[in-house]
Amino acid sequence: MGQQAGRESEMSDRFDIGAYWEDFTPIERVLTAALGIVTLLLILFLGTGRLGPSYFLFLFGLGGMYALLSLGLNSQWGFTGLINFSVAAFFGIGAYGAALMTGSNSPIAGGFNPIFGLLIGLLLAGIIAVAIGIPTLRLRADYLAIATLGLAEVIRLFLQNERQWTNGSAGIRGIPSFFEGWPILGEFPRLMPGLEIGIIPGTAIVLETTFWRQLLNVSLMLVFLGAVFFILRRAQRSPWGRLQRTIRADEDLAKALGKNTYRYKMQAFVLGSLIMALAGVFYAHLNLFVNPGDLDPITTFYVWVAVILGGSGSNRGALLGGFVVVAIREGSRFANDIAFIPLDAAPLRLLLIGLLIVLVMRFRPQGLLPPQRELIWPSAVGNKAPSGPDKGVPQSDGGDPNE
Amino acid sequence: MSESTVNAQTNAHMSKGDVLMRVEDLQKSFGALQVTDHASFAVERGSITGLIGPNGAGKSTMFNLISGFYQPEGGSVEVNDADVTGMQPYEVAEHGLIRTFQTPRKVEGMTVREAMLVGPQNQPGESFFELFTAPSRVGEAERENLDRVEQVLEEFEIDHLATQPATDLSGGQMKLVELARAMLAKPDILLLDEPVAGVNPTLANKLADQIRRLNEAGTTFLIIEHDMDFIMNLADPIIVLDQGSVLTEGTPDDIRANERVIDAYLGGGGA
Amino acid sequence: MSAIEFAANGVVYSSIIVLGSIGLAIIYSIAGFANFAHGDTMTVGAYAAFVAFGIIGGLGFGVLGLPIGFFLALLVGIAIAALVAIVTEKIVYKPLEIGSIGLLITSIGVAFVYRAMIQLGFGADANRFDIPAQRPIEELIPYGIRITSHDLAIVLSATVLVVAVHVLLQYTDLGRKMRAMADNPDLARASGIRTYRIKLWSWVLGAGLAGAGGGFLGLYNNLNPRMGFSVLLVIFAAVILGGIGSVYGAMLGGFLIGMVVEMTPLLSRVGIPIGVDYGPAVAFLIMVAVLLVRPTGIAGDGTAGGEGI
Repeated sequence: MGQQAGRESEMSDRFDIGAYWEDFTPIERVLTAALGIVTLLLILFLGTGRLGPSYFLFLFGLGGMYALLSLGLNSQWGFTGLINFSVAAFFGIGAYGAALMTGSNSPIAGGFNPIFGLLIGLLLAGIIAVAIGIPTLRLRADYLAIATLGLAEVIRLFLQNERQWTNGSAGIRGIPSFFEGWPILGEFPRLMPGLEIGIIPGTAIVLETTFWRQLLNVSLMLVFLGAVFFILRRAQRSPWGRLQRTIRADEDLAKALGKNTYRYKMQAFVLGSLIMALAGVFYAHLNLFVNPGDLDPITTFYVWVAVILGGSGSNRGALLGGFVVVAIREGSRFANDIAFIPLDAAPLRLLLIGLLIVLVMRFRPQGLLPPQRELIWPSAVGNKAPSGPDKGVPQSDGGDPNE
Repeated sequence: MSESTVNAQTNAHMSKGDVLMRVEDLQKSFGALQVTDHASFAVERGSITGLIGPNGAGKSTMFNLISGFYQPEGGSVEVNDADVTGMQPYEVAEHGLIRTFQTPRKVEGMTVREAMLVGPQNQPGESFFELFTAPSRVGEAERENLDRVEQVLEEFEIDHLATQPATDLSGGQMKLVELARAMLAKPDILLLDEPVAGVNPTLANKLADQIRRLNEAGTTFLIIEHDMDFIMNLADPIIVLDQGSVLTEGTPDDIRANERVIDAYLGGGGA
Repeated sequence: MSAIEFAANGVVYSSIIVLGSIGLAIIYSIAGFANFAHGDTMTVGAYAAFVAFGIIGGLGFGVLGLPIGFFLALLVGIAIAALVAIVTEKIVYKPLEIGSIGLLITSIGVAFVYRAMIQLGFGADANRFDIPAQRPIEELIPYGIRITSHDLAIVLSATVLVVAVHVLLQYTDLGRKMRAMADNPDLARASGIRTYRIKLWSWVLGAGLAGAGGGFLGLYNNLNPRMGFSVLLVIFAAVILGGIGSVYGAMLGGFLIGMVVEMTPLLSRVGIPIGVDYGPAVAFLIMVAVLLVRPTGIAGDGTAGGEGI
């Protein structure tokens, strides 16, 4: 693979922009430039009113949600090599957990504070992850793949058919926003004044309650994303993460070195499933309506594309992949609007996802942003972190354990 | 590490010459093929024991049975006076037995130093929760382990490889790294599966020197090897497996002179 | 419906599942990975037969209520499914430098490409073979069995194919080489077998059987782009129940799982209120139970399945 181990990533705390750029791989440079262009275009579209700010925030929230799902799958597939084809199901468990606790037409227990929905969603996802992990995680990796494919189908069937508990295909509506009933934040969108911004004369951009509500949603997403990213980054650079990567490369080796690999695989599987459920909880409060259609298996494979495209095992790759996937989704919708392609959007999207999986596996199985540097517990290497392949063993200098 | 292991370790120097590992009447078959056929032998504490035999004699299967990767159909395995038959590999390792593989897969995206850091047992940082509840403990242990890695790399004279990607190593270098990493787990007995297969003679000599050094420092070895010169110079005693059971056992000179061994090798197509 | 009637339907459905699971087991053991595109290969076979039937037509006379043209179209479906699999092996799987897990993930991509192509060509709606539906066979109704001559044709054709697979594996040179390669690829290569050719033949055989299964599934229900993917889980359950890598296990597993799925509604009579919709869920639960109790399946030899158990 020819990775430059020990390379400084963009995560480092250096501020020397020049050196920073020098350290980038060519791909990183292209991506940075592309991100810059996309940002400029977005600003242009927002400024000229071609893209409504509320809708932009909604899309941004959706992108964050996919990024969260990708981080979840990354901690299963990327860190440990666990194949989970149930991403949509764990997402759905989180979404339904939240919806059933808070939705106005919930057949079970509507009207609770969203915090309860969050807890129930995570709890359910954790239990189901353990239940599917017990029979499969002792076995070869493909057994988990097959079992999770089945699990996804069973969960979808259950949500569709058990109307007395789930409302079936009618779905659950009347889900409050996450901050409903909170002091200050609950009232924030209604209290904020409508703002009118006119950048170009005649095309005023109006910021109303919807905008403020979406802004809150995006903030919530950023909190979720930030917390998950922090936890995963910490875990990935720890002995725990190192062990997971060893299991991924050669499980027998880890076993021979005295590691209980079953336990570690279970931990990674549950952790990833909880993150997916968290994304589901967020979705319920973003979309304010859930139905079994949200568990379409294609969602699972959007997330797979995000992870393998971004770079298996790379958290920033997963972040990137999540947003790229939303771009693909919305892009194909857009292409359909132009209508000079007389083709259906659904199979076109399926084709695109299928081709992307095949092409990435063929030409760049490590993804766009594979992990670039030695991943050693930060406080152990302190400030003298190895920054290049030619530097020696770092001295232990008692750095701050909290980084 | 279990209490018995700790006791065994403290007794190691007092009772040199006693049995560290014992295989008793071990049986395993794949379909109709009996690959391990009532095999029994023992490895003395402090020895470098060789395990040889023609292709298909069941040597690797024997390693897999001892280290818990295969479940035997009959018989028993004892390590440090504890019955480890049917245990999971990690449980066998807890009793002081570590093994290497014939063809190790290289961990992509890891440097040699990172790959080495997997060796030490019971690291606090291997617990997901301690990463967040006791970060300073994790950091402290990590620093200690980094120091040990550095020290072991120097002892093996491969410290210049520390920051190389593990995927860039030659076969011989990888074997040295493997041995060094296994030592970080502080085993009482180390099982090596063909340590010099595909290794150039210079590195092979280096490996032999390292094995002798570690043996003098108290580690017992059981080594599968096809390279007769290498194993005959290094190991004593030598155990010969043929068709799944122990054919004979003795000093290298005994084995060289034993006609049944020669027959077995010729009959089995040679080594 | 009586229990015996469910059982009769079960036999018909099982015949289709058996064809799918034998093919999957062959590819699993010789190509060496879980092929998630296998269900969609069935779909490819079904649509190829559908198109061919449209071109060939009935050709006048028929057997068991099925015009002879249908059987010819089915052969075309088998050939196209095999051809598509060979082309996929050559341009997608062969150049990959990744292990069996990478191949598995790639096969999901392949599955989507197949399905997307079919959906682009034929739309998402269901299609039917232009063959008049049959009434249940009169002679069997007194025994409580309501199956049509089409159903009978499916069962008989599947039986012929299963026997043919058995003869191929046991009594031909190709079959012996395939078994040798499934047992131990390295040993097979060392003993002079040209393993890549055997691998190509295993794709032909596996995908061909899938194509046949797809054609029958289209006749039994209807044709739609999701038809193969929706039986994939059932087929995997069958292969795991039989023991991954065992062709004869897959036959038995396919038969049992097919029966169970079709007989699911009977559970409500013994107090378990579970609808016919839950057929795949029942297959899934059986699969999980097998993995818990005996991961090597019915016919596994104790080494293929779990590691370290």
